[in-house]
Amino acid sequence: MFSKLKYFIAESWLLLVSSFLFGLLIAVADAAWSAKIAQNKAEKLSGLMTSLVSDANSFEIAIKEANLPGNGGQTVKTDIYKALDKQGNCAGFAFIAAGTGFADKIELVIAVDARCEKLFGFNVLSSNETPGFGDKMKNAIFSNQFKGAPTGKLELIKIGDAGKIDNEIVAISGATVTSTAVINIFNKSIKSVKEQLQQKGLITGNGG
Amino acid sequence: MAGESSVKINYLGALTAGLWRENPTFRLLIGMCPPLAVTTAVKPALTMGLSVIFVLVCSNLAISLMRNLLKPHLRIIMFCLSIATFVTICDLYLRAFAPVMSEILGAYVPLIIVNCIIIFRAEACASKNDVWFSILDGIGSGTGFTIALCIMAGIREILASGTFAGIAVMPRGFVPWAAMQMPVGAFVTLGLLLGLASLLTAKKAN
Repeated sequence: MFSKLKYFIAESWLLLVSSFLFGLLIAVADAAWSAKIAQNKAEKLSGLMTSLVSDANSFEIAIKEANLPGNGGQTVKTDIYKALDKQGNCAGFAFIAAGTGFADKIELVIAVDARCEKLFGFNVLSSNETPGFGDKMKNAIFSNQFKGAPTGKLELIKIGDAGKIDNEIVAISGATVTSTAVINIFNKSIKSVKEQLQQKGLITGNGG
Repeated sequence: MAGESSVKINYLGALTAGLWRENPTFRLLIGMCPPLAVTTAVKPALTMGLSVIFVLVCSNLAISLMRNLLKPHLRIIMFCLSIATFVTICDLYLRAFAPVMSEILGAYVPLIIVNCIIIFRAEACASKNDVWFSILDGIGSGTGFTIALCIMAGIREILASGTFAGIAVMPRGFVPWAAMQMPVGAFVTLGLLLGLASLLTAKKAN
């Protein structure tokens, strides 16, 4: 038994010592930079939310780890943020919603008004859509159609007036899959968010 | 005296071999994932190149230090362990201090772990040579790789966006070639550059 243990240590001591030292190195780096990484993430999300809710002075979590419908009937947990204006009144809500795009997962930051009746629009948190086609979802001609649109069911149309603000969204030319993915993300998430805000009594008036 | 000069030549050779004679991208055709994936613009390509230099130098240094203790059955696992450590540190650094670049490069920074160049240099050089030689080899190979990435990225960015490192270089009215930003652009550019590299090598040999 002892000879086996001796053999094991003789054969693998370098691996054991190196694993410990390399692990320590990673732990030190992580401890030194994890706060900065978390700060970067928070700043990015805050920046994206602030650009959508123009009256927002600060954000606070309204519903922590709310369940939103994901792909294949699964649910995804996300925080719903409440935007507060300078007087401390609710200026709107914002949250992260995701869905499957043409190439990869699309993550959007979506914002709605305080009554959850109108959309403030969306910003792209992450996407790998085709350059020159699907990534045009970031362009104003597509994204501006959502600003001020009703929070009811959105419809995708191929031909129409992109300047008209209603529940009909004109698709990106040559990127129907990406356009459909964005519409699906909205339709799935907004309904769920609205219901959860109502349940928590966070929507004023006839928010539904 | 003769021995001293031959040692000097070797050190210089370690530093310069990766620039052209053993350039990982144009001559050895190894580590081809980043040249195809992260060369849509110069800045991310440069960031990737610098990350690879850091990982190559650190892993070569670590492996060279332990080269006399490496047993055959532990060799590959020790290479992977040291490479993964430095890639993780590099990834954390980028996420903390260059979040925009980290986001653009995405999964390709963690994927440096499986980059052939690093494991190849560990096996071919660092596990057989002293520390200084291994460090110089890492700098040389990494620089050669970075230059190759930047050449590809420069061509693609100019043709796809009319800019070089974000600075407009094409005349007004230039129509961007969207295809150069897509995978097809990477394959075409790489193919043409490999053809050019072969042509230059053949001419030199003749």
